[in-house]
Amino acid sequence: MATDRGNLSPEVAARLAGKKAIRSYARKLSDPEDIKDLNITPMMDMMTIILVFLLKSFTSSATLVNLDQNLSLPPSMTRLAPKQAVPVTITKRVLLVEGDAVAPINNGRIDPQLKRDGDNGYYITPLVEILGKVARREKKIAEVTGQKFDGELTIIADKTTPYRLLTEVLYSCGQAEYANYRLLVLKSRE
Amino acid sequence: MRHMRAEFEEAEEETGEINLVPYMDIVTNIIIFLLASVINQVPLGTVNVSSPTFGAGGGGDSQPEKPALNLTITVGATGFTLAGSGGVMPPIPKLPNGDYDYTALTAKLTEIKKEFSDETKATFNADAVTPYDTVVKTLDAMRYYKDDKDQREKELFPDVVFAAGIL
Repeated sequence: MATDRGNLSPEVAARLAGKKAIRSYARKLSDPEDIKDLNITPMMDMMTIILVFLLKSFTSSATLVNLDQNLSLPPSMTRLAPKQAVPVTITKRVLLVEGDAVAPINNGRIDPQLKRDGDNGYYITPLVEILGKVARREKKIAEVTGQKFDGELTIIADKTTPYRLLTEVLYSCGQAEYANYRLLVLKSRE
Repeated sequence: MRHMRAEFEEAEEETGEINLVPYMDIVTNIIIFLLASVINQVPLGTVNVSSPTFGAGGGGDSQPEKPALNLTITVGATGFTLAGSGGVMPPIPKLPNGDYDYTALTAKLTEIKKEFSDETKATFNADAVTPYDTVVKTLDAMRYYKDDKDQREKELFPDVVFAAGIL
């Protein structure tokens, strides 16, 4: 056999070698072992790590705000990050506590009927009632977890909110034992 | 023989690899959703303020070495007014274009801070119609200043107490 190969012309030998390579490649392709077991475990590890990281960064952003035409935050140069606290939102049209509407707002004013002392009053009755309930709930949680009730609120207000309305809201929050406020703003460099 | 073969096939099925493809589909979808949410997030910050609180009065024997500053900054229709224990300072008028002069306010507060370096509290007050945007900008001007000597930001009066009705 070896002598037969030895007698072949270089052209024929090259053709035979080519055919052999094609056959070997075809055999390789038809071999199911090579394609069947794609090991996706490292990829799964990687994706799980990314998922955990993203979930963590997603939950660490304490406050989620839906900004629309009725709520645009003012810019500020503050460097303090938002912290988890009960959100009180003042939009152009409505006052909300934890996302639930408390009182309507018309032209930057709360309806005098919803205030204990009428038009000149600061005490917004439904806001104090709801925040009172929230404060009782927070105190219970603080008792169970052994923490201190710090009476903190996040105030999310539209940038056109008049100072009078802001003080009315803060006064009412104060009546429900919330005395520390975090005004939520957009971070800017200027 | 047939029985043995069936048993062998069953055992092979039981010990086979778990199909991870559906799990991977779910994970990929969640990742895409979370990435999209993270990208769309706006950079948020907070400005801390508080309302005045009442406390029981301390003993009347000890006298403070330095009189308290009791700085009050009021945003009015014509500009800023600063007042302290010593009296009311000349007002800081608005700029010709109608904006409030925040730079002049910071400069004035820097002068006061040099006299009362330990003081960090200030009371904020404003007209009823002052927009929230102006309130936040004034609080920014009250919080820090840039030192000319070392070009570093230094604290002015970051502990702000809101006045006007919050009693």
